[in-house]
Amino acid sequence: MNDNNENKKIGAKGYLMPAIVVAVSFLTIYTVVVAIPDMTMIKTQPSKYAMEYIQRDEKGQIVRDKQGLPVPNEAGLGRQVYVREGCFYCHSQFVRPQDRDFGSKVQAGDYVNETPNVLGTSRTGPDLSNEGGKLPDAWHIGHLKDPRAYTPGSIMPSFSYLNDEDLKHLVAYLQSLGRKRFEDPANRGIYEAYYPEADTAFWKASENHKPNVDSATAANAGAGIFRQNCAVCHGTNGLGNGPNALAMNKKPANFSRPFYKAYSDKTWYYKVAEGVPGTRMPRWKLKLKPEQMWYLVAYLKTLPQDNVEIIAPYQSIDDLQWESQSALDAPLAETQRRIGQQKEEGSYKPNPGGPTGSELSGGSAGGH
Amino acid sequence: MIQKFLSDKEGSAAKFFMLSSLVWLVLGMGLGLLGSLEFSYPDITKGIPQLSFTRIRPAHVNMVAFGWLSMANIGSALYIIPALCRTKLFSEKLGNFACVVWNGVIGLGALSLLNAYTEGREYAELREPFDVLVLVGLLLLSYNLFRTVLNRTVKKLYVSVWYIMGAFFWMPIVYLVGNRTFVAMDGLNDGILNWFYGHNILGMWFTVLGVGIAYYMVPKMSGKAIWSHSLSMVGFWTIAFFYAPTGTHHLLQSPVPEWLKALAVIFSAALVIPVITVLTNFYMTMKGSWWMLSTNMPLRFVMTGSLFYLFTCLQGPFQATRGVNWYIHFTQWVVGHAHAALLGTFTFFVIGSLYYGIQRLTGRKIYSVRLVKWHYWLLFIGFSIFYLALTIAGLQQSVGWALGYPVGQWSLTLPPMWFTRLIGGAMMFTSSCLFAYNIYKTMTDKTISTDAELNLAVPVEGK
Repeated sequence: MNDNNENKKIGAKGYLMPAIVVAVSFLTIYTVVVAIPDMTMIKTQPSKYAMEYIQRDEKGQIVRDKQGLPVPNEAGLGRQVYVREGCFYCHSQFVRPQDRDFGSKVQAGDYVNETPNVLGTSRTGPDLSNEGGKLPDAWHIGHLKDPRAYTPGSIMPSFSYLNDEDLKHLVAYLQSLGRKRFEDPANRGIYEAYYPEADTAFWKASENHKPNVDSATAANAGAGIFRQNCAVCHGTNGLGNGPNALAMNKKPANFSRPFYKAYSDKTWYYKVAEGVPGTRMPRWKLKLKPEQMWYLVAYLKTLPQDNVEIIAPYQSIDDLQWESQSALDAPLAETQRRIGQQKEEGSYKPNPGGPTGSELSGGSAGGH
Repeated sequence: MIQKFLSDKEGSAAKFFMLSSLVWLVLGMGLGLLGSLEFSYPDITKGIPQLSFTRIRPAHVNMVAFGWLSMANIGSALYIIPALCRTKLFSEKLGNFACVVWNGVIGLGALSLLNAYTEGREYAELREPFDVLVLVGLLLLSYNLFRTVLNRTVKKLYVSVWYIMGAFFWMPIVYLVGNRTFVAMDGLNDGILNWFYGHNILGMWFTVLGVGIAYYMVPKMSGKAIWSHSLSMVGFWTIAFFYAPTGTHHLLQSPVPEWLKALAVIFSAALVIPVITVLTNFYMTMKGSWWMLSTNMPLRFVMTGSLFYLFTCLQGPFQATRGVNWYIHFTQWVVGHAHAALLGTFTFFVIGSLYYGIQRLTGRKIYSVRLVKWHYWLLFIGFSIFYLALTIAGLQQSVGWALGYPVGQWSLTLPPMWFTRLIGGAMMFTSSCLFAYNIYKTMTDKTISTDAELNLAVPVEGK
């Protein structure tokens, strides 16, 4: 198509040398930057913290499928979900030398099985390299489904669309992250304050004077501690409508919501002791004794209800609004009505551990 | 139909690329806007997997980087190279075919990413079939352009030809190396490779193409010769030598070998040289012609891009140094910087080139200069708001990380920044819609003017 230009063509004359220079220089750079690190680092032995994402049988042999490929284990499947759903866009997976309270620093050998890499370049959310074991599975599943119910103010997308299997695998993967680092006794000191599942001083101390958290006595004791310390924000009955709630940007939790049933004793304890980052919820372990916090746990356990109406937190101190707000306490009013009826009939028995009728009648927030 | 898509008409390939890029611009920016909306209202698309932020993000990045910016750049290159070589494009059919392939990749690729069919590595998300097709498209274009240059009728190669040929030599290699389809490594090496690729599509592709185009547009639109040819050569060779090893500066605090980090930092800092030479050349060429910016809108776009270029490329070496990097890394500051390069600089360059090239290629006057002005100001102000919001958010995050506060605590200070960013994003999206509408109306215009009537070297006046 360029026949008419044929005789005037100039071609590559005089430009061959520069072209070769460009090619050679670029390939040299490529070798130095990519190929040499690969050749030197691929020989790095897996460190003792490197995770395995493949199944092994009892003899330690790798399980292979029909095509001879290694079969991923549960965490390995979860890792696939992690990569597929793009979690690495907002969560990094390396601890930097300057990061505090993140656990031990990572080494090159930790990553030998991490393919494709999920190092991440942004921390819109927290770093996850030592996430495993910090929080119970139930928390993770609930948090993945509805992040803002668990961490107020979070902007994480809801992953409620994942099916149960994917969620289970993903949580298995999250629990595997940094697991070996935290199980290493050499690192014990670093993890002192964390990990509900760890056998650390934190949990050992909590076992001192631990009451039976399922007993009504403990719950009643907890109710008193709750009124003294928690009610100003969470409301007398834990509906998240205490007077302080007015001034708060992130409203206190309403413990009557059904999903709190999923909390284990240790989760409750951990939340009370460590507070909720990003909210005004303090770290009660600085003020309360472990025994007192267990009493609180015993009381808090009795609060979640089925089919509860979510109560909007107070928005204003306008009297009328407060009135209408307390009218919203429908489940509470219903309970009170029933208790009153039972009392009249003489069949009233205090709910073991739960709020008693007298407490309830004195506790309407509208009465302030 | 096939006749239309694989036409043999002169300039048809360039036009095809330019017009397709506009579609991806609007769609890609729309996705970006939706993504930023989800920062302010995280539950707005709850329960729709395809619209979850984590899936929108790769689709947005691939659409604007490979759909909009790459295709607009290629379209401009397909126009500039024949013009500079005083010859026809080697094969318009091949160019059109590459465009069909590329459009297919972007469309289907974005759909596949929204449906979580992803490689899971930043900037290299597209899966195997798409990787192969992108490479085929790139190699076809490279072949086409190199043959065109060999067919040239002028002896000396202008600097733009160097830049564009450089881009079409480096990009296929970078793409080949950077995707797991072709080269797969394990663990940390995969990270190094990932960022070799991730930063070099910027350096060896967007930068060289963008600067090459600007080198053509600045003298052409201002009607003056380039200030110094030797300086332009210094710029080209330094970028060729200094850019490639810089990618590891994304991993400065990770356990990659120290010598590799040192190399990345030194070369990142050295990138100041090409930037200063290029901009000195541009600004000295413009000396005495700055008044043209008041009326010549394409030139105004290019020169605004060059200001952002100066800014971005001084910021880049600054934040690649270890001292700054440990503070800034992992935050939205970096997101702001990435947008300043691709959106602030190279998008502005190529918009100028599209306004100019489409008028030249079709012989039609731009439909409405008033709309061009709206486009300019909305994009400029929108981007400035967007950039400042992200930078401030980044600094807030940096404080949080540096003092060891939990994410949940400092993240509560960010919503105003997310919302401000959303406003900036909305303005930019609007401007892109105006742009696409303006070009659409231009293309459906019946009146054809000659080059002399268009008189593009002097101020463009509305009808």
